[in-house]
Amino acid sequence: MQQRRQLDEKQINRELLNGNLATPKWYYPVMGVLGVGVLIGFATILYMFNRGLGVTGLARPVYWGLFITTFVFWVGISHAGIMISAILRLTQAEWRRPVTRAAELLTVFSLLTALFFPLMHAGRPWRIAYWLIPYDWARGIWPNVRSPLFWDPIAIGTYLTGSTLFLFVALIPDLAILRDRTTGIKKTIYSMLALGWRGNPRQWQLQVVAGILLSALMLPIFVSVHSIVSWDFAVTPAVEGWHSTIFAPYFVIGAVHSGVSAVVTMMCLMRWLWKWNNYIRPEHFDALARLLIIVATAWLAFTFLELIFSLYGRDAPEIALRELQIFTWPWNLIFITFLLTGYVIPVGCWLFKSCRNNIAIMFWTSILVNVGMWLERFLIIVPGLARKQVFVYTWEGYWPSPVEWVILVWSFAWVSFLMLLFARFFPLVPLFEAKESQVFTTEMKVGRATVPMVIRE
Amino acid sequence: MIEVPVTNNTEKFNSATNSLVPTTKESLSGKFKLIFGIFGVLSVIGIISLILKITTVGFETKSGWGYYAAIVSLLLGVFGTAPMVAIAPTIAKADWHRPVSRIATMFTLAGISTSILAIPLIFALPPLVVDGIRRRSIWFDANIYTPHVFFGIAVIGLFFIGLALLWVTSIPDLSIMRDHSSGWRQRLGKSLSRGFIGTERQWISLRARIGMMGTFYFMFLIFVHIIYSICFSLELVAGWKDAIYPMYHAATGIQSGVATVIIGLFLFRKYWNLEDHIGIDQFWALSKLMFATTIFWFYFFICAFMIFWYGKSAINEMTIAILVNGPYMPIFIGTLLLSFIVPWWIIIWNPVRYSPAMLSVVAAIVLIGSILDRIRLYVISWQVYSDEMIHKRYIPLDEIPENMIAPNLLDIGIFIGFISLGIFAILLTTRLIPVVSIWERHQSILLTRHIKFHRTEVYAVGKPD
Amino acid sequence: MVAEKQSKFKWGMAIDIDKCTGCQACVLACQAENNIPINTEDNFKDARGIEWIRVERYWEGEFPDVKAKFIPILCMHCDNAPCEPVCPVYASYHTVEGLNVQVYNRCVGTRYCANGCPYLVRFFNYWEPEWPESFQNQLNPDVTVRSRGIMEKCTMCIQRIRRGTRKAKRDNNEVMDGDISPACVQACPTDAMVFGNQKDPNSKINKMKNDKRSYTLLDHLKTNSNVWYLAKVDEDTDTHSKEGGH
Repeated sequence: MQQRRQLDEKQINRELLNGNLATPKWYYPVMGVLGVGVLIGFATILYMFNRGLGVTGLARPVYWGLFITTFVFWVGISHAGIMISAILRLTQAEWRRPVTRAAELLTVFSLLTALFFPLMHAGRPWRIAYWLIPYDWARGIWPNVRSPLFWDPIAIGTYLTGSTLFLFVALIPDLAILRDRTTGIKKTIYSMLALGWRGNPRQWQLQVVAGILLSALMLPIFVSVHSIVSWDFAVTPAVEGWHSTIFAPYFVIGAVHSGVSAVVTMMCLMRWLWKWNNYIRPEHFDALARLLIIVATAWLAFTFLELIFSLYGRDAPEIALRELQIFTWPWNLIFITFLLTGYVIPVGCWLFKSCRNNIAIMFWTSILVNVGMWLERFLIIVPGLARKQVFVYTWEGYWPSPVEWVILVWSFAWVSFLMLLFARFFPLVPLFEAKESQVFTTEMKVGRATVPMVIRE
Repeated sequence: MIEVPVTNNTEKFNSATNSLVPTTKESLSGKFKLIFGIFGVLSVIGIISLILKITTVGFETKSGWGYYAAIVSLLLGVFGTAPMVAIAPTIAKADWHRPVSRIATMFTLAGISTSILAIPLIFALPPLVVDGIRRRSIWFDANIYTPHVFFGIAVIGLFFIGLALLWVTSIPDLSIMRDHSSGWRQRLGKSLSRGFIGTERQWISLRARIGMMGTFYFMFLIFVHIIYSICFSLELVAGWKDAIYPMYHAATGIQSGVATVIIGLFLFRKYWNLEDHIGIDQFWALSKLMFATTIFWFYFFICAFMIFWYGKSAINEMTIAILVNGPYMPIFIGTLLLSFIVPWWIIIWNPVRYSPAMLSVVAAIVLIGSILDRIRLYVISWQVYSDEMIHKRYIPLDEIPENMIAPNLLDIGIFIGFISLGIFAILLTTRLIPVVSIWERHQSILLTRHIKFHRTEVYAVGKPD
Repeated sequence: MVAEKQSKFKWGMAIDIDKCTGCQACVLACQAENNIPINTEDNFKDARGIEWIRVERYWEGEFPDVKAKFIPILCMHCDNAPCEPVCPVYASYHTVEGLNVQVYNRCVGTRYCANGCPYLVRFFNYWEPEWPESFQNQLNPDVTVRSRGIMEKCTMCIQRIRRGTRKAKRDNNEVMDGDISPACVQACPTDAMVFGNQKDPNSKINKMKNDKRSYTLLDHLKTNSNVWYLAKVDEDTDTHSKEGGH
């Protein structure tokens, strides 16, 4: 526990606002590169809208490909926020404090990105807005409530609204600090956003209660979002590889795995870019890695059960599907990569304390996890469709076209761009949490040893 | 940073030791013997019923073993997963588990009744190949008695790992018994504590062993749940393919395990007069755990149900008929009410979670729900099994039996008898080691403080690495 | 439900596999009747060809002892269609006459129905359909040309059904068995395919569907399909393959 240092409040303010009150040197070049990526991505999307989905690699019977994979991937990443802030808040884990904001932010932006994909993958995206979103009483035609694709926007919309509120409630005290430290138009905007925060006891009480209430209310949504996404696949008995009862919890735990890993990646970047070494410390990585070992192992158990039960019936189409997925080139390579990057290499590293405390290793392993998790979704969606039912005349492969790859890369650039944009105007590490953590942790002497101590209400 | 005052703990240590050590000897001496006797007699009845069951029903009549299989599954949950309540929070470094962990770990000893019951059931389980045709199974082309062998090894292994866990976690207490008691307790304490005197090296190795044993027990437990649920119910029904089922089985097992610990904690606290050591905090924390596992029941159930209901294929229809709306529908409704709706709605209220008595009532409701749940799953599986049907792709709806089987006197005898045997085993241990672990009480005294914080007093917990 | 019971018609089809020679006349007729874009070689290589009815061919045995089996597969117009509940906009819809229809105007192209369909008879328009100039007058005026981005599938030639029922109504006649036939049925040289009203007790399709050779495809999914197949009679083994396709 030598890592923790006693910091006074002025130093906390100065260090954590270093990206907001001044622009870091690397900021504009990085934003420029990301901006170009985002523009290329949007241009590609418009090109696709103009020409039609023929520009993708989709073909019968693989009607869902890279877009849906990436949609599931980003929805999965979005599970980071609530996992870190809500569950760890309710279980009073002290080490969550510096990462809550970043995790919630990741939730909001990855959900926003995820929403693009089902829109993009539709044949007539302009019609989605027309039929699904504005309810028109006069027409007498309603969306089909039996369709999982209708549950999706509802679940994700609720999750997005809740996460945004959650983010905002936690942001208010910091907005007030920014309001007090800026001038001119900036001050006006920050004042409006800070909602008259003065930091009196009543306001603090309301803010804390709102946080706890939102965490508790968000938990069911957190679970339902990815369950519903998994039901998009699992409810169809026609696709043998999809029709599995384990899908909902399997997807949820996989989402937590990839989401928390994404938070680790972000923490490394925050530590490197803004030099917040006093706030994001190896002990936080250690705790997250230990959480991840458990999550990853549970996820592996679900993967194993899913595989066992797919072969359990020994139906010919199901065996053909698994043969494609596991043994046929190039899927076998993807499968091996997925296992290695999703579990074996990262968890193998995290078992050692020296790796858990090494920022660079944590950075690369957390990226590996997300590579693996993306491949996992790809492996579930595409081979399942490619070997659908017994009509071998329709068995086909699928490989994404360049357009799809560009859009995949765009999604990463887009999320990073939004995050950096946010980081320019709002602090990424919650200042009040950092201060609270200073107050709520202390040390005690037990015999000759010094033990870190946490205060409980 | 708040200054933490250094306190002298010797007095508190001694008072904890002096109040806990005598519980092994004194508490309820007269009444205790009576209770002991009752459970002993009931256990004998259970064992007699078991022998009668084997001789009268025989291993060939599969439908006669449904309730029996349900009892084994229930015991796997109630006695098998109760120690998890001790292990999981230890790994998470929570403070509240310290007075609970011993009671929870003691249930490993009750695993003796699970092991005894499981062995005959292995002989009743049909082999993988009947009439030259191999049935669908997770063992694929393995030897036809693979599940029998594996499950036998697993369930006995679980019992011994449990014993080892109980022993490892009570070594410091055994050494206390060696130093603070007399007679056979001292002698047994001496031989079992293996020369533990509390040096730093001994503590380090002890912690490592507890962590290892705990993790090992947990993994073994999940393994046993997976094998048992698949081989002893799912595989017996042609066409039932349900990947979440083993996890559902384990999660509901944990739910009933938590409920058992709550009831055990409540009874010990009340009748052993342990109010000083077991506080409301423990019930509060356990209530949250039970709340979570109660939701798990529903979540895992709905995950499976959703797929079957939406899928609408013949296989799905059959599965729903077997699990939900078939002959066992009343039992299913009972499960839904008692495992989820009723406890969930009671436990959501804070006052209930603060009250040990109310919480125990909820726990009892959950346990009844678990019994019904196991009946719903196992009795029908053994009822629909037949050597001819098992190779079919699915069981047609009109071949699913219309009426449920009622338990007979032997089943009830086995049920009561073997639960009593488990309780008997636990009560036997309480004669040797205290129900609240003394060394963890000491740890708690060492690591928690009430300190002044501005104008209020707060509770602070030390978290060593 | 009530409307379905009151309706006079419940259309269905029966296909005698024993009579099918695999000549592909039905495929061609369907192509011409329903304004299906021309399937070029490239289209097929991309696996994007659209054929509302396809003939699957299965070889049995080793050369030279080889047997060919053909099975025409079209939309089964399932009563319990997996494609219907999954559509978020109700584009996949069941009529009271037992037909499973696709409302092109409502379709947004999520392709969820195609994933739900176990028979793989739903097709997606990846591009805007194009015909050579000389083909413009060939298009059937009764059938909508589908734009890009939507799903399409066999309609059992609903335009012919409408024409037939309307004509009967105008002439004050009952629709007789055999009055209405989709393009594929009309084109079949061996009369392997039969179309008719299942509510008419004397219709040919009812006889065929109650034949002891009859079966439906992927029966275990309980889609309650309205297309029946009559198994091939094999003089060597004289067993009826009930599996369909295998």
